[in-house]
Amino acid sequence: MERAAGGVSYQRFPRVRIRELKDDYAKFELRDTDASMANALRRVMIAEVPTVAIDLVEIEVNSSVLNDEFIAHRLGLIPLTSAAAMAMRFSRDCDACDGDGSCEYCSVEFHLAARATDSDQTLEVTSNDLRSTDPKVCPVDQARAYQHALGGTEPFDTAAAADQRQHPLPCCPIMDIIAKKLGILIVKLRRGQELRLRAIARKGIGKDHAKWSPAATVTFMYEPEIRINEELMETLTLEEKRNLVESSPTKVFNIDPNTQQVVVEDAEAYTYDDEVIKKADAMGKPGLIEINAKEDSFIFTVETTGAITAYELIMNAITVLRQKLDAVRLQDDDADLGELGAHLVGG
Amino acid sequence: MNAPDRYERFVVPEGTKKVSYERDTKIVNAGSFTIEREDHTIGNILRMQLHRDPNVLFAGYKLPHPLQYKILVRVHTANQSTPTQAYTQAINDLDKELENLKQAFEDEKIRYEERPKQGY
Repeated sequence: MERAAGGVSYQRFPRVRIRELKDDYAKFELRDTDASMANALRRVMIAEVPTVAIDLVEIEVNSSVLNDEFIAHRLGLIPLTSAAAMAMRFSRDCDACDGDGSCEYCSVEFHLAARATDSDQTLEVTSNDLRSTDPKVCPVDQARAYQHALGGTEPFDTAAAADQRQHPLPCCPIMDIIAKKLGILIVKLRRGQELRLRAIARKGIGKDHAKWSPAATVTFMYEPEIRINEELMETLTLEEKRNLVESSPTKVFNIDPNTQQVVVEDAEAYTYDDEVIKKADAMGKPGLIEINAKEDSFIFTVETTGAITAYELIMNAITVLRQKLDAVRLQDDDADLGELGAHLVGG
Repeated sequence: MNAPDRYERFVVPEGTKKVSYERDTKIVNAGSFTIEREDHTIGNILRMQLHRDPNVLFAGYKLPHPLQYKILVRVHTANQSTPTQAYTQAINDLDKELENLKQAFEDEKIRYEERPKQGY
């Protein structure tokens, strides 16, 4: 019955080229595969790569202006460092804690206690006030601040790190957060108001609730292939060429100042809007410019919330997709049943 | 109040099989696989991989209803193959492709970090 293993392989060998890789951002080219694979990876990155997020909140005291569930919701949306999430258990199938979802294998406890005392200023309660019981899991900007304090550089962003050394006070927002110790605002307290709570963070996926999604944006586009009919282009006056170049809403084409030829400046700026092609048709020069999408070549941009790095997100997505494929394999008894069924019906 | 639990979307209920195969009653070498708690992510890559197999005469999938968390993959093959055989082969090939992709990413990351930084 092991016929299936003898089949010929129709496997593909995709190629990858990384263009840019930062902590929470990646841009890469994926070639020699099809849109279904690119889209599966995108979908898995958004909805099925696990992270850790606050899921259960027990409020002890809340005299703030926001109600309990409002605060619980805001806590859930704070990105927590989730490098360990792949190895964690989902609390629903954790057998160490009888399903109450509060053991070290499937959850992390947080505490928050803040009270605005006699000062006249409002007290801003932020993610920096959350105290984690597990140093591996904490709000993302706390981890950044900690890393920064240690003088650690960002793992993959060597260019930015070098840049940081030259300019000790960079002006990007994340650095502002660290410098001013801002964190993510949860609630503001007036004099005398208090917030005290216990929260449990659990592993989850974006399909369950978007707070577990590690992806800020994941997009891919087909690589455009632009061909200019040079012979036909020569019949255009400089004015006409300018009009043609201007007709594209994004800056795809330009005119070479020396040769006065129309050249492709940035093929990837093309948004598949067909405007230049329509313009060429309107000028009575159909076929002047031809643009095709390469069906096996994709340009991905991946941005994460900071819960995991962009590289981790990609790698985890591949792992998760393989696990999913493994789960949909026919079990041995299925295969036998299929064959048996064949005999029954055929005989 | 009566909203179904969110996890029902991706947790296979107890006593239900993840994948089941049903032969077509009229056509030989045809049948459909019912995959519980899966969606376009798996459906579409499986379909496209099955299309690469020349023995597969037809492969298609559908998500019958957005609130029924299952997909149907229908396969019809030539006499040299069977739907179960083609299905297993497609999964094996996809798995190998992803294994290969993972390695490609790891290699490319090393290459990327060694690449001299272009100033801009």
